[in-house]
Amino acid sequence: MKRINQTIATLSLGLALTAAATAGDAMKMVDEAAKLDVKKVCDVKANGVAKVLAIAEKYNPAAVELGVEFKRLGIRNSVYIKGLKEAVKAKKPEVTLKYKAKGKEKKKTFKTDYAAWRACTFAVRALQQVKEADKTYRLAIPGDGFKF
Amino acid sequence: MKKSIVKASVLMLVGSAILAAGSYNAQAEKDRKALVEYTLKRFENPLKNRGLYFPYSTDKELKNNMQPVKKVEDFRLGSYAFNKEGRAQYEEIKEMPPYEDNIDAGEELYNKYAFFKKCFPDPAIAGEYPKFDDKSGKVVTLTRAINQCLVANGQKPWKMTKGKMTDLEAYFAAKSTEAGKKVNVQINSKAAAEAYERGKKEYYTQRGYLKLSCANCHVQGAGQRVRREYLSPLLGQTTHFPVYRLKWQGLGTMERRIKGCEKNQGENPHKPSSDWTAEMIYFMSYMSNGLPVDGPDVRK
Repeated sequence: MKRINQTIATLSLGLALTAAATAGDAMKMVDEAAKLDVKKVCDVKANGVAKVLAIAEKYNPAAVELGVEFKRLGIRNSVYIKGLKEAVKAKKPEVTLKYKAKGKEKKKTFKTDYAAWRACTFAVRALQQVKEADKTYRLAIPGDGFKF
Repeated sequence: MKKSIVKASVLMLVGSAILAAGSYNAQAEKDRKALVEYTLKRFENPLKNRGLYFPYSTDKELKNNMQPVKKVEDFRLGSYAFNKEGRAQYEEIKEMPPYEDNIDAGEELYNKYAFFKKCFPDPAIAGEYPKFDDKSGKVVTLTRAINQCLVANGQKPWKMTKGKMTDLEAYFAAKSTEAGKKVNVQINSKAAAEAYERGKKEYYTQRGYLKLSCANCHVQGAGQRVRREYLSPLLGQTTHFPVYRLKWQGLGTMERRIKGCEKNQGENPHKPSSDWTAEMIYFMSYMSNGLPVDGPDVRK
């Protein structure tokens, strides 16, 4: 019984530490993303699809972790990235995204370059907004930063 | 002498405890009072304040369709407090409210499961939630409390957005409205004040690919139009839930409505069961403290 209790305690501590570490890692990514120039790093013409997709893949997991992942017309940014990976691998000029909206399976096709630009800007901007919010959110509060 | 020293120390202790308890909601009270003052100022005379608050509306629109709001209680009606045309349609719908069957279904559920009477002996409790549970360190919304009661009694939790949950909440809200209850959300500890602050930060944070905060529409944008619809003010936004939305063709909880707002902002919504959503509701409900509970109700 004592051993079971000890195992549970160790597991709980491990889980708590992992959660704290993941949140800490996500915040590191926020600091890193805040220094990026979105227009430059997500420029598909200048950098190529693969590099732009790599940026999206790098930053989007932190956005998911922090609960700030972008979603447009029912498509999460993770769905863009997943579809893009397959399209880049197969060297397809178009990417077909499969997603669920209101319980129904749906499909949408985009040009690969366009989808890569979107996935990259969505991933980076989501994290940059977290940093910006620290400075701006109080400006909208009546009686605090918002004067009326 | 010894007796009077003991008496004085006890009095001091009790006094400082009361002061400490009072001080936990000091910032929240400051925020609430400022919001009330701002909202009343915004709607006291829309035509006169056009340049300041309604730059995209025409004089004709403000004159014909916006009525000044003088009483803070009127904001329990959301945009129908100032939108004349919307108010007329709302009053027509209220002649035969579409949620009456839900209230009856909720009463049946309350009587069917005996344990609900133990968890919620007085059904007129809609205005008291969310509460902060210091033991778990979490905000407990009414939706969460109902599910906690179900689980504690060996049942599966209900869906947090619609269905049986909204039926039971509709019954609680109707009983609270009947009893003339007011929104009375409490912040009684440091941890509760921190949860409130987190909820507040999220409400005022710009998010999603549209970079919109809740406040962009419901504080600085309250009373402005998005197509044909007038945006409701933050003040009074939680008084009338669960709400029957014509768009939904049914009742929904606050959790469901917030999820919809997040989608509109261009963000993947948080789960209705998340702490994020509970803390957001905690902040929003505190802002409506003192307003009459007015649920369930109808909205477009």
